[in-house]
Amino acid sequence: MIVYLPAGLFAISLLAAYGTVGRQRQAATIGAVLAAAWSLVLLVDPSLTAWAIGPIVATLLLPRRGARARSSFEGLTRRVVTVVTALLVAIFLASRLPVGENPVLLSAVPWALGALGAAWFISPIDQPERLQGQVLMVGATGAILLAAIPAGPLTAALTGAMALVPIAGEYWRLPGRLRPALSALLLVLASAAALLAALASVNVVLVLFDIGLNISGLLLLGAAILLVAGAAATPIGIEWAAALGVLTIAAAAPALRWAALAGLIAVATTLDRRGERPAWLAMGALAMTSVLPPLAAPAWSARVQLVALAAGLVLMLFAARAATLRVLVLPTTALVVMVVLEPVNAAGVVRFQWIAAVGAMLLVSRTAVTWLLAESAGREVLRDALIAALLLVAISARDALGLGVLAAVLLLIDAAIVRIDDIPAPSSTWSRLVVLARSNWPGSITFAAAAIAVIAALQAGLALGLLAAALLAALQLAPLVDRNAASPGRVRPRSALQWVGPALSIGCGVAPALVLRMIQLAR
Amino acid sequence: MALALQALLPFIALLGAAAIVRMRPRGQSNGWIAAGATGLAAVIALVELLRLSPGEHVDVPYLTTFPYADLSIRLDGLSLAFATIVLITAALLMLARQRVRGDRRDPWFGWLLTSAAACSVILADNLLLVYIALQLLTLAWSGALDEASPRRRGMRLVVQVADIGLLLAAASAIQSVGTSAFSGVPSDTFGLATFVLVLLPVMVRIGALTQIWGGPKAAVAFEPSIAWVAPAGYLLLRLLALMGGRLPDRPTAVALFALGVLGALFFAGLALFERAGARLAGLLLAAQAGLAVALSTGDQPLLTVASTWLWLLLVPLAGLAGIRPRDGSAPEALTLLGLAMVPGSVAFVGLWLAALALNARGLLPAMIPVGLVIVVSAIAAFSHVSVKRLRRVDTATIWAGLLLLIGAFPVIAIGTLVVPAAATVRLVPRGMISASPLGLATGFGVWPALAVSVAVGTVLGLTGWRLRGRFPLRAPGAGGEPAFASLLPAMPGLPTLPAWSHVVLWGVFAVVVGAVATRP
Repeated sequence: MIVYLPAGLFAISLLAAYGTVGRQRQAATIGAVLAAAWSLVLLVDPSLTAWAIGPIVATLLLPRRGARARSSFEGLTRRVVTVVTALLVAIFLASRLPVGENPVLLSAVPWALGALGAAWFISPIDQPERLQGQVLMVGATGAILLAAIPAGPLTAALTGAMALVPIAGEYWRLPGRLRPALSALLLVLASAAALLAALASVNVVLVLFDIGLNISGLLLLGAAILLVAGAAATPIGIEWAAALGVLTIAAAAPALRWAALAGLIAVATTLDRRGERPAWLAMGALAMTSVLPPLAAPAWSARVQLVALAAGLVLMLFAARAATLRVLVLPTTALVVMVVLEPVNAAGVVRFQWIAAVGAMLLVSRTAVTWLLAESAGREVLRDALIAALLLVAISARDALGLGVLAAVLLLIDAAIVRIDDIPAPSSTWSRLVVLARSNWPGSITFAAAAIAVIAALQAGLALGLLAAALLAALQLAPLVDRNAASPGRVRPRSALQWVGPALSIGCGVAPALVLRMIQLAR
Repeated sequence: MALALQALLPFIALLGAAAIVRMRPRGQSNGWIAAGATGLAAVIALVELLRLSPGEHVDVPYLTTFPYADLSIRLDGLSLAFATIVLITAALLMLARQRVRGDRRDPWFGWLLTSAAACSVILADNLLLVYIALQLLTLAWSGALDEASPRRRGMRLVVQVADIGLLLAAASAIQSVGTSAFSGVPSDTFGLATFVLVLLPVMVRIGALTQIWGGPKAAVAFEPSIAWVAPAGYLLLRLLALMGGRLPDRPTAVALFALGVLGALFFAGLALFERAGARLAGLLLAAQAGLAVALSTGDQPLLTVASTWLWLLLVPLAGLAGIRPRDGSAPEALTLLGLAMVPGSVAFVGLWLAALALNARGLLPAMIPVGLVIVVSAIAAFSHVSVKRLRRVDTATIWAGLLLLIGAFPVIAIGTLVVPAAATVRLVPRGMISASPLGLATGFGVWPALAVSVAVGTVLGLTGWRLRGRFPLRAPGAGGEPAFASLLPAMPGLPTLPAWSHVVLWGVFAVVVGAVATRP
């Protein structure tokens, strides 16, 4: 009987949260979090209660207004339908992915917490509820994964602490006087990481108490990319979010990894919400790849895991077309997928390649369709879609030399750091250099990446190679179409670090072998 | 001097001159610097070629990056012969441009970079490097750093897309043997598909000859010879060299021969309807290039020598045709004579050698369509020739005269340039072809070049003297644009799609994901 108490507490909290306002509602939300923590205790281990600290503190930091917000019949209906649907999906997933011999109602509580968060996020009554929804989604991601793959108390606490990230993203901006110092620090750290990756073969797991961090050449390279992106391309004030990306790719515990990614998505969508829903969907699909192996039946777990991985990546590439999603979330996700894909066998890779190829065509076709829609305002940049498509092909093309990984890394740098600002008119030597850095001509990172992607893809298979060649051909023709396209993102204030993108583009375009060396050393 | 430095000398000369020209103010002397440096680079390439033993090749590595993409230079008969002829042509074009009055534009920096890029295509040691160099060449001749720039946009994009065929060929080689370096690729690496892929950039460049000639105001067109003919010929011959001098199979050889000859016939036929001018020259050059492609399919050493002759000598001929002469001037008449492929012209030497080789194999009937191309080209060319007195000796006149001289004395080019290049493509037995001031002698027959040139020159001279005032055969203004209306319908506007089109795309994606997930 006691095993049903968390579910009961959650149900009461849910009803109370919907039926009350102000502090009672806050308490009810905390009750829902406590119910999830209780279920974790019963499902796995009492030490995991540390997870609850983060979501509870985050909920306390989100004060609710005492007055009830005005609501309409349509709005109310939408909210009810949303939460019921989300709960049904959660119960279905919990029933398909039971934790051991435990009753479904017990193992469904963390899923239900996520469903509640999703419902508040999808149909919020006001902005604080939307933020609370994100907090619960991040927290539930950690809880579900902790139930599936248990971790130590500190890891659980850190996973739970990720629930604070959406609030930090909303309210915490780095003071202006600290920004130059932080940017410089990020660049120095990035240089150190890249140097370490280039000089030494590192492949260790760094353990701090029970928090494990993977350190390898590819991850060091990824960390360098994220730190540079954080310093040079993120909106002013949230440079610190790059650290979340680094934590995501380095975390050994899946719960911490996916919770950090969820937190990063929440931060990335505070200023520009374009693509936030597909990004959360993608995060869900990707997190499922860690949930499936321990909980799902072996008969279908492996293949669905790869399908979820590929589909999640496609969704993320669709979502991360602009702003911080593109600058931080896209490279983080792609790097995590590359790491997860490494040990997959050949049959699994073929499955991944299928979806990657179709996803690549989808991304390009979808962008092409925007040019044919009646409303011309939504025209998107074809070259960005082609780079995303090539990135998919490159990640899926696994070869002995690591060319696919090399091409993917170069394309990530291109998409996240180089192609962010508008191209200046080629009038001065500097602007000519910028134009070259953003072009498809030899010497630019795009040229090197695309050419290497074609070679890697052909090594993976003829069809994939021809697809990559077709994408390269389209990339050559894209400037014709893109002249009238919308800008990829909001115009950022001029930064002293505008030289970073062009310098990286030319450097990597001229000497991609250096990057390959970092990747090869990691093997 | 270290070999690594020797191999770089042409580039140093060209890029050094480019840097000097860039830094100096606009002026007449820039042209002399550019032409001098290019000429010096040509001399360096020629000296390297002469120092090379028969069949010798030298790979000079500079930077080992990837196992299949080392930064290295290939010095062999083919590359050095092409480099020499390309640089000589470039230098002559610069000299011709230097004599043009009234054009204040300063093209030297771009031309020097184009020459250097063409050299890098020719001297690159692996297919991947050739692909990169081709892209650089396109950037150099178009000068369009901004890819959306309207400057030669159509041609530039077509060439760029076609060059992807070469990238695929390089990738295919890497997949098969782990390298795309010329020394490391066995002759059986390339199959039919790869061969067709490499033909793409060749065909596109031949097609380019018929399209753009330096714009309406350019007195000297640099690209046709340096950026289109030379890379096309070099790529085809290099691919044949990689394949051991023969095509994948006999049906492919027959098909390519037919394609080349029919293409040549088509271009020559189109030339019949053209007015005198650059486009006429372009069509006749494309016809010659078509014949060169056709003759490249042979598996006999003499046929290889013939096709190599055609390709090599087509570069200066295209350069000469790139100098836009005044109507009725002597260079124009001499250029048309060269383009007509009549006996005495440089092209005819190659065609005669091909005929000898085919005759030895009992395939002389294959020369019938070739002869037809010659007849049509000659009609097209001579119908525009006008005979006037030679008033002034200029670069183009001397150039045209030199080409006729080579036609009369093939000994000038055959031993120094053509045979070393052909011997790289396939084994050419020693003594198979011998040259003397009187002509060429092979095991299958002779070509009395001097006698034929004198005879043809006499006949043409007498004819010109006799018919002076009646040339050109075609009345001015006749045979302009084709008389038929455009077959292309008016371009329809782009269709508009409903807003739910995205849903269809995502639906298809969901179906595929479902299918892949459920497939055992």
